[in-house]
Amino acid sequence: MNWIGIIVPFIAVSVIGGCVGRPLLHPAPIRKPLQTIRPYNIAHRGSNGELPEETLAAYRRAVQEGADFIESDILASKDGVLLCFHDLTLDNTTDVANHKQFAHRKRSYQVQGVNSTGWFVVDFTFEELKLLRVKQRFGFRDQQYNGKFSLITFEEFISVALHAKRVVGIYPEIKNPVFINQHVKWSDGKKFEDKFMEALKKYGYKGSYMSKEWLKQPVFIQSFAPTSLTYIANLTDLPKVLLIADPPTRTEDTNQSFFEITSDSYFNFINKYVVGIGPSKAAILPSIDNHLSETSSTGLVAKAHAHGLQVHPYTFQNEYLFLTFNFKQDPYEEYDFWINKIEVDGLFTDFAGSLHNFQEWTSEKGN
Amino acid sequence: MAMNFRGFVPFLCLSLVVACAARPFYLLPSKIATQNRQPLQTSRPYNIAHRGSNGEIPEATAAAYMRAIAEGADFIETDILSSKDGILICFHDVTLDETTDVADHKEFADRKRTYDVQGVETTGFFPVDFTLEELKKLRVNQRYKFRDQQYNGMFSIITFEEFISIALDAPRVVGIYPEIKNPVLINQHVKWPNGKRFEDKFVETLEKYGYKGSYMSKDWLEKPLFIQSFAPTSLVYISNLTDSPKIFLIDDVTIPTQDTNQSYWEITSDKYLDFIKEYVVGIGPWKDTVVPVKDNHLQPPTDLVARAHARDLQVHPYTYRDENSFLHFDFHQDPYQEYDYWLNEIGVDGLFTDFTGSLHNFQEWTSPISQNDGKNKSKASRLLDKIGLLISAYKNG
Repeated sequence: MNWIGIIVPFIAVSVIGGCVGRPLLHPAPIRKPLQTIRPYNIAHRGSNGELPEETLAAYRRAVQEGADFIESDILASKDGVLLCFHDLTLDNTTDVANHKQFAHRKRSYQVQGVNSTGWFVVDFTFEELKLLRVKQRFGFRDQQYNGKFSLITFEEFISVALHAKRVVGIYPEIKNPVFINQHVKWSDGKKFEDKFMEALKKYGYKGSYMSKEWLKQPVFIQSFAPTSLTYIANLTDLPKVLLIADPPTRTEDTNQSFFEITSDSYFNFINKYVVGIGPSKAAILPSIDNHLSETSSTGLVAKAHAHGLQVHPYTFQNEYLFLTFNFKQDPYEEYDFWINKIEVDGLFTDFAGSLHNFQEWTSEKGN
Repeated sequence: MAMNFRGFVPFLCLSLVVACAARPFYLLPSKIATQNRQPLQTSRPYNIAHRGSNGEIPEATAAAYMRAIAEGADFIETDILSSKDGILICFHDVTLDETTDVADHKEFADRKRTYDVQGVETTGFFPVDFTLEELKKLRVNQRYKFRDQQYNGMFSIITFEEFISIALDAPRVVGIYPEIKNPVLINQHVKWPNGKRFEDKFVETLEKYGYKGSYMSKDWLEKPLFIQSFAPTSLVYISNLTDSPKIFLIDDVTIPTQDTNQSYWEITSDKYLDFIKEYVVGIGPWKDTVVPVKDNHLQPPTDLVARAHARDLQVHPYTYRDENSFLHFDFHQDPYQEYDYWLNEIGVDGLFTDFTGSLHNFQEWTSPISQNDGKNKSKASRLLDKIGLLISAYKNG
């Protein structure tokens, strides 16, 4: 009757073997898939209309509210940790000014040709950054969470998506790569773009747009710097999006003008590397006296679509100060216009919940 | 060709003169037969265009009202005051300063006055000091600087009759929701012949255009109407003149009634609601008194809606505005979330909104007319409110 002596160790080994064999962050087996029949709801810095931007809470809220993708800006700390943060300086959205131990860290650097002064992310180790607390950027938004949340890493951001109960995509940006590569050096000689891709690969992100693997873990990689995108094209076939700022701005790496990078010949070149563009709304439709006029349209969307490129404009915000009078102070009228008239393929919004409402409520009409 | 030219021109002129003289001074009634007009919807809470679509166009102008009708309003709303010569006009403020160009009219520079208005010394250009002809020289401006200014100076003040004709001329049945505004002040400053008061002239005007019938009667459905006022004695007075439905407006907690000097707490008590329900079909409270607010966050709701519903009183709160500066943080800067909360959680029966189009969108997208269960749901919850009232009366009795 030695079966206990055999069975128990067998069970123990199986359990241990099972636990060790289980991947660290394996998504739940059956999750509601990403919707792909209507324009993407891209939660710009999470639901930062309600919660301080790029915090776990803001991203979780966005997932709850129905976002298709959660979006983030990736920068690097002094010790090369990739983190989620939009500004190069900590001044506007953290309490760094209240930390006496960092008082002497203020610096002035050239950022894309402009002299900027502040507490730069690249001058703090990640451990130091974790001491800071994030606050709501806009004074007219809810201030009640100021000081409650901290900065998060790229990996923590990824885990929010992977742990969601349904498939939620990520939309990280290779942000200010010229500046980051100037200030941060990695010991293995790798650059910012390499470390960015390493993080994605570590969590199993792969596959071209709409492939089976991509649909399991959707991702768009965005950047204002075309050379960063062409560089990583050698490292991954994940879909990439070229961000395009308003006309006076030139690309930070190639110093090209708006007109050059939106020309037919440029689109012919870049569409081998990217699946879409992410222009500012004003780059598509400028406004005069707070009115949009279709006659001032730059024709950018039609041109992009003709080259097989998706268009994901930024940024949609509910507050009336961001709305032109055409929309009658109503953010849903703005969604209606951009989705149904301009026919964009995705929208970066600070208010994932509102966009989700609009899409859900009007979907029966077949829009 | 030149045959009768000389005779023709005088004939043409005469015809024009006759035609112009014969034309009624109000807009012609709708060319669509009344029977064929889309009726008022009564299956979901009323979309009440507060001063017209004044989110887009200067308030209480013909253009603002026409825009509201185009955007789907169930009712167009207005405040009725009087000119010096007793003509009833659509205008909200007791003074012309904020929303007209009166300050630019040198001929009126000497008309500035100071009067006591509900216990407050108020200085400005008062409509009661201008004849209608003079008021018609003014042009209306958008009240809020953060709204579209492009129509400033284009539109004039309209009369009560012009307002009514806009509703009657609409391609579908559109109700009117006029207010007997500042009746104490008006009756102090304006006198009508035959000893008539402001309230008499108000009802006369409505009767002239055939407004009659109790709430939901056949007559009422053809020409829907709510008469609103902050002054209970005005409502009680006109209940002898008309059975058209009336709404008792309730101001902020610190403001007593202008005619009876009663406090908010008195006029929202069970006892008072039991009294006033004999005269009105509903109340129109300021929304921040129904659900109080602290640090721009909602607090637990009061029981005012339940107590009103238990007495079969409708609740039409004011005022809903799209701008985030008016939205409490619970709504995430989203006016549609505010509509959702008030219609589906609080369960009110109508909303005064500056943005008719937005409310119409919300209602169409989430409760289109074909789904007729809206009013039935609220009937069920009203029944529960009534049962609650009976139980508490039994407990306390």
